[in-house]
Parts: sequence; structure tokens; C-alpha cells
Amino acid sequence: MSEFSNEPVLELRRAPVRESLLGALRELDSRLPLEVPVLVGGDRGAIEGLDSTDPGAPSRLVARAGRASQTEAHAAVQTAGAGFREWSAHTAAERAKVLSGAAGRLRERRLELAALMVRECAKPWPEADADVCEAIDFLEYYARAAPSLETGAELLQVPGERNTMRHAPRGVVAVISPWNFPLAIACGMTAAGLAAGNAVVLKPAEQSPACALALVEALHGAGVPPDALALLPGFGDAGAALVRHPEVHVIAFTGSGAVGLDIVRAAAETPEGQGHVKRVVAEMGGKNCVIVDADADLDDVVPALVGSAFGFAGQKCSAASRVLVHEAAHEALLRRLGGAVEVLEVGQAERFATDVPPVIEQEAQERVRGYARDAEASGRLVARPDRVPDDGWFCAPTVCAGLDPYAPVLREEVFGPLLTVEATRSVEAACDAVDSLPLALTAGLFSRNPATVDAVAARLPVGNLYVNRGITGAMVARQPFGGNRRSGIGAKAGGPGYLLQFTEPRVVTENTMRHGLVVE
Amino acid sequence: MPESEVEQEVQRIGRALHTALPGRSRNPVKAFDARAMELASRDAQLRAALFRLVDVTPACSSLDDLAAHLGAYLEEVGERPPPIEAALRAAHNAAGRRALGLAAAGGVRHMAHRFIVGESPEAALRTLRGLWDDGVASSVDLLGEATVTREEADHYAERCHEALDALAGSMGRWPSRPALESDSCGPLPRVNLSVKVSALTPLVRPDAPEVGRDDAAQRMRPLLRRARDLEAHLHIDMESLDALETTMELVFELLDEDEFAAGPSAGVVLQAYLRDSPEQLDRLLEWAEGSKRAPPLTVRLVKGAYWDHEVVEARQHGWQPPVFEVKAESDRNFEALTTRLLKARPEKDSARKPNASSGIRVAIASHNLRSVAHAVAVNRATGGEDADLELQILRGLGDELQQALAHNDLRVRAYCPVGDLVAGMAYLVRRLLENTSNDSFLGDQQRGAPIEELLAAP
Repeated sequence: MSEFSNEPVLELRRAPVRESLLGALRELDSRLPLEVPVLVGGDRGAIEGLDSTDPGAPSRLVARAGRASQTEAHAAVQTAGAGFREWSAHTAAERAKVLSGAAGRLRERRLELAALMVRECAKPWPEADADVCEAIDFLEYYARAAPSLETGAELLQVPGERNTMRHAPRGVVAVISPWNFPLAIACGMTAAGLAAGNAVVLKPAEQSPACALALVEALHGAGVPPDALALLPGFGDAGAALVRHPEVHVIAFTGSGAVGLDIVRAAAETPEGQGHVKRVVAEMGGKNCVIVDADADLDDVVPALVGSAFGFAGQKCSAASRVLVHEAAHEALLRRLGGAVEVLEVGQAERFATDVPPVIEQEAQERVRGYARDAEASGRLVARPDRVPDDGWFCAPTVCAGLDPYAPVLREEVFGPLLTVEATRSVEAACDAVDSLPLALTAGLFSRNPATVDAVAARLPVGNLYVNRGITGAMVARQPFGGNRRSGIGAKAGGPGYLLQFTEPRVVTENTMRHGLVVE
Repeated sequence: MPESEVEQEVQRIGRALHTALPGRSRNPVKAFDARAMELASRDAQLRAALFRLVDVTPACSSLDDLAAHLGAYLEEVGERPPPIEAALRAAHNAAGRRALGLAAAGGVRHMAHRFIVGESPEAALRTLRGLWDDGVASSVDLLGEATVTREEADHYAERCHEALDALAGSMGRWPSRPALESDSCGPLPRVNLSVKVSALTPLVRPDAPEVGRDDAAQRMRPLLRRARDLEAHLHIDMESLDALETTMELVFELLDEDEFAAGPSAGVVLQAYLRDSPEQLDRLLEWAEGSKRAPPLTVRLVKGAYWDHEVVEARQHGWQPPVFEVKAESDRNFEALTTRLLKARPEKDSARKPNASSGIRVAIASHNLRSVAHAVAVNRATGGEDADLELQILRGLGDELQQALAHNDLRVRAYCPVGDLVAGMAYLVRRLLENTSNDSFLGDQQRGAPIEELLAAP
């Protein structure tokens, strides 16, 4: 296999490229609603019980999906047991070839898939396209990492014995994926499980079943046996049944902290007859702060903050939510940031001119608006553009400042287009504030002093620190991604070591000396 | 004229210009900068430290703060020459930092003054008048922070209005300089202002050029009116590729509006480092051909000042860089575009058809002796008077060439940035990058490359 490189995103600044995407969207629209069945083994379940709609036009039905029952969840795990034996019998190189083939299938459909994310999740074009690319990257990256699981790690060798260590698959992986990266994150967790030789049962978020189906189609089409990969569109009950099934070995989850901790607790149970302890890999969100020092260049800071806080309406785990700015730059930053947010275009994801799309659903709209009210009440409103479309789950991007330092909104994840700004005496004080948070996913620092950069990097507990740039957009192999503390457990996605979580290490020590003769 | 003769003419003109270049030693003020830049161009780490210092200076709250930054940058330089080592030691105590901060602030200010002619148009007038007296026209560019808000865009537009007024008020009283004031197309405005679209709107969106176009248009229209009423020239600069479409669409759309049919004189920029610049030229010529405007469109041909930005951005995204990566390709393209532009001018003596477009004026902006000599030669070869070709240089970088051009009775215009130090930093850093890059013409020239090499066809 060639060396890994990231799938290039589309060059959207070229008009013909934009035109091709709009063409793909028109084509997709003519086929809506899509149908997403429960897929277990070769069987397709009924298509009813779950509707997926366009967040920007809730009356538009994007997909009709099956709603997996607990029975179907159990059947899926059982079938996956058989699928595991089939799939794990392949060599890692063979599995890698299949995954890489799936990447090729996504590549062929990339315009259509971006269009699907625009419709199903109101994910704007640049982000939707990047999502497809990231999914491709995960497949290609984990495919290249798989063979090393078989060759194993270097061990110390002495005469007369041969020590080897390799990583065997665990069995059945339950993947519970979110809607905000409806293709990429579902793909990353699924691809990792498969690359390591496991079977996977995928339960995608109820908001994005059609995107998940596209992934499953690509993997099946490329040669993953039907039994080794099941799709369970549905709600939390199906996920809960999966998590609790005694034949599930690994649970890979990305989503809210509440659900994540629930999974951790459930996974700790070892009922009679369950011959293993479950492993949980969980990504659970963040409360991501950006520290702006007095020597920062606000020309760079403002666009980076706007992009990080309001891109995709702030619905990224890595999105900026809190700014801690040195008091010397506070006033200027507020003025410029406020002005920059006032001109943001709130609109439909399908428009290239849109800066802030709607949020995913009504419940999210209510939650974000509630937090925005709290922020305003415990501080003051700095900026909020007033032109917001009526139809669709829109939330106006909002900047608040001067909040009561104990306001809950300064600690809790909002997951929407709300940014708060606080003045701070010093970078050290800002670090203290960040360090006091239980969530530790991403953070940002703007400083032009290398000594400050070193000190902050040493101090902050976050999983991903971004210096003098936006804090979203982690790339596979370049920014292995994942949070610390209560933001997550497990190795970083898209980085070295991630596949190991889906394996069991096995060490073999062989005596190679027989009657004084060393048999190598 | 056959090509070989044009080439001979290029060599002849190039040598004449080279002979007319003033010796650097005669200008002691510049010797300091030249030394600093020579040092910087030899050592990548020192160069980085120098850029970072220049970049951060306006944001530093005190001399102590500035010295602390400088110290931190120098820490990262692996092999430190003795003066740098001494500077680093100084940064370790308060008195040393003050001295170091003073020296650094002074050095940066000095460098800024080389490139930036004044804090305001009024303050720049003295220098501009001096240029005029030396036979050099000018174009004023207002430096500023990036525009991220509506207020900032309004403020920039207001500064442009004030600049037009201030320049027109003063320049109108300057003595006549016929060589700078007309060509075969007609009169050339004395007042010449370069404006940036990215400063006129906070909404430059590479993926949606119409957004920035429409927003900038609201501020550009009054500017065009003012320029028309003052008989000034408005030149719309080109920036990174992300703003290209916005800029082109804005210019084409506004200049086609009826109220601007008679004026003002206006211009755009063509960047030869862009791989698709030949197509951009097609587009420009097609527009000019179809335009009903009276004043010709001035096309300023440049190599392009965002090379590093474009290449790095493309590499990070996995795109083919939109610019030529080998400098010689850029230089060759520059010559090809020069030739096309000069040949695209309307034939002088042919009776102009009613309704025919008045075509284009050509401005060649380069510090490369070869590129400039080539333009002069092709202009002559295609039947142009010397006055029909404008040559442009950047204040602070092309001063010597500018003198040589004026000395040879060629029409030269200096691009003169105006603004305060804070505002000027991004500009300054770009210029420094250009001046110290290893394959820049100026670098070759400073290293004393032989004339044959400097004038060799790319």
C-alpha cells in the first residue's frame, strides 16, 4: 500500500466545483426520501419507525428508516459472532485491502455523500466535504495500521528463546456513533474495529441513519461479509440493548457525557456467562477554551474564533465555547469579534454563502437558546445577528461577555453557536481556569511568544491544543484526536495506538533450545 | 521585429538600466537594512527570528516586553553569531532588556520607514512630491488591520475618501510634468490610489464571491464617484487567490454601470505567478473589449506577492498549488503576458470605430531588470512610445531601479504604502520575505550576480 496521505478536500473556491456539488444535491433531492433498513446478516428489516428530516426544512423527509428493536439488536450481535469467525480468518493484509476498497467506494460517491450530509444534518458544504474526506482517511489510515497488529511489537530476545507479541481481535464491537460527523466518526470507529479483525454492529444516531447506510454499503460492497457488519438504525433503546449484550466485547462510543458515563457503568457489569470484561472507548465532548494573550494578532484571532465557534453552528466536539483574553486585549477583541459575528450569514446549509446553518433538531434549538438566555442574564450580550430564517431549527450565533464566573454556562457543554468571552489578568490565570474544568478535549492559544506557547502546552490538560489557529478540523494522522479527563477514555482517533483498543495482546514465548542446540 | 532582435534590444536596455543603477554605498541609510537582510537571507533561523520580531513589535506593550519576545525568538536560533549571543545575554536582565528593546524597536521602525512613506496621506505628501520632482509618479496604498467588521470596512472607505481629497488638493498645485501626465490614450491622472477589496468588506468568502462583491460594492461605488469627480485613478489591488473572484466580479460589475462610463480611470492587477493567469487575461481582455467605458482599463502586471501563502495553503489541503512553483516558470509567464498585454492595445493610427472599446493601458510592476527590459523592448517593437508603457516599483524595494528608469526617460510609478506601524506589519513582513527569499531577483542582485545572469532569458 502506498504511504498514507489525507484525502484532499474539494477546492470550493473554484466555481465549477461548487456547481458539481449543487448538481449532486439536485440529483439527491429527486430520490428523497431514502430508505434505510435494519441490516443484519443478509436480511433487511422493515422500513418504518424512524424518520430523518432536514433540520433546515423539517417538513422535508430525507430518509425513512427502520427502528431496530432490542430483539434485532440481540440478533445482530449473535450474527456478528459468526461474522467474526469469518472475518478474523482473513489476514490483516486482506482486511486492509477491503477497507481501502471501501474508501474507494466513498471516493466515487463523495459529491453525493456531501449532499446527503447537507440534507440530513444541515452540515454546510465545506464541512460536509471534509467529513467525507475524513471517513476516507480513517479507512486508509487504519488499513495501513492493521498489518502491524500481526507482526507485533519488538521485544527483548535472549539466546534460546523466541518472544513474540501480536494483537488479536476481541470479537464483536458495538459502535454507537453521533450525527455531527455522520460519516466520519461512524466510519472511524467501525473501520478500526474491522481493521483489527472484529465484527461490528453499528448503531448510528437517530438523526443520521442515511449517512450510516452509505458507509455500510461501501464496506459490504468492498467485501466485508454481511455477517461481520450490521446496521441498526434506531433510538437509544437499541443502543442500550447492544451495550448490555454479553457477547459484545468492545463498545466504541462518541456522544454526550451522560450517555457515555452510562455506557461505562453498564459495561462494567459481568453477568454470569459473560467470559470477558468489556472495553469502552468513549469520546464525550468538551468545554473548549481559547486563551488569547496580549501579544496576539487580533487579525488572526477573530476569524479563527468565529470559524471555531460558529462553523457548523458550533456542533463539533472541538468547537470553541469560551474565550479567555488578556485584559489588555479584551476591549479590542470584544469590539472586533462582536462586529465579525454581526455580519455572519445564518441560513441553509446548501447555500455556499451561509456561515451558520441550523442546529440539528428542535430540542437542540431549545437547549442552545436556553444557554444563550442564561449567558445573557449572567453577563451581557455582545453580538447576535438578527436575520434568522423562520423555518428550520435556527439559532442565532451569540457572543456574551462579563459573565458571573460561577455561571453554569461557563462549565457545561452547549454544543451550539454560543461563545462567551472573559477578561483575564494573565495567561497563567487563564490556564488555571481551563485546568479547573472537568472536560479537557481541545483548547486554543494565541500568543507570539514561544516561551508562553511552551508554558501553556506543558500546563493544559486538554487532548488537543491548537496554537495560533482555529481549534477545529483535526486531520487523521496529523492531529490524532481525543479528549482527556471526562472528555473521553481511550487512545486518540486517527493516531498511532488507536487500533490496539480493539485487540487483545498475546505474547508467545518459545523455548528454542533442545539438548543444548538452539533451533532458530 | 523578429524575436532575436527583440532579445538583443532586451539586453541593450537591460545593460543601460544596470549602468544607471545608483551604487548602494552612496546611500548610507539603506546600508543598515541591507546588512540585516543579508544576514537574514543567509540563515533561515535568523530570518525567522527577524520576521517574528517585526511581526510582533506593534503588539508589545513595553520595551521590556519587546526584548522578552526577541530573546525568546533568538533562543530558537541554533548557531548564534556573536552579536546575537550578546543580545540574548542582554535579555536576561531588566536593564539589558531595556537596551535591547530600544535597539529592536528602533531597528523595526527604521525598516518600516523604508517601506512605508508616511503615517497618513498628508504626511506622505512630502515624499510623494519629492518623487514627482525626480520624475516619478506614485500610487498610494492605505495600510490597515484586516477588515473583520462593517465598521472597519466603513473606516477604510472613509480613509480612502480622505486620501483622495488630500492627494487631489495638493497634487493639483504641483508643477506640470508632461512625461508623467499623458500617453497615447490621453491624460494620466496625477492622483492614483490603490484599494484592497478585502479591506472594503468583512465578507470575502472564497466559496461565495457574490457575498463580498455585493457588500464591497456599496463602499466602492461612492469611491468611484469621488475618484471620477476628482479625476483621480483608482486601482483595485489583487490579493490572495481567495479574494480573486470577489475582486474580478466587483470590478467588472461596477465599471459597467452607466454612471462610470466616462470615468474614473481605473485599473486591475494580473498576477503572473498564477497558473491560470493566461485565462484571467482572456477574461480581462474580453471584458475590456465589450466595455463601453471611455477611459481605458489599466492592467498592472505583477509576479504576485502571496506565493508562500498560496503554496502552503495548497499543500495543507492537498491541492495543486495555484502558482508556479519554479520561479523561472513565473518569469517566463510574466514575459508572455507582457507581450500579450502590449499587443492587445488598440492600434494607434487606425481610425477608431464608434463604440469600440478604448482598450487597456499596460503597467509592468517588477524589480527584475530582465522583466522590465523585456517589457520596454516589446513595447517598442510593437510600435508603442515609451510613454505608453508604465513601469511600477515598490517603495523601499525598487528605489534604485526607479532612479535608473527615470534616468532613462521611462515612465515610472512608485507604489507607496501609507499607514502606521501596527497597520503596516503584515505588509512589511511580506516585503521582507520577498526581499530575502533565496531565489528573488533582488537577492541575486545583492549578491552581485553578473549582468549576463541577471539579464538571461528565464
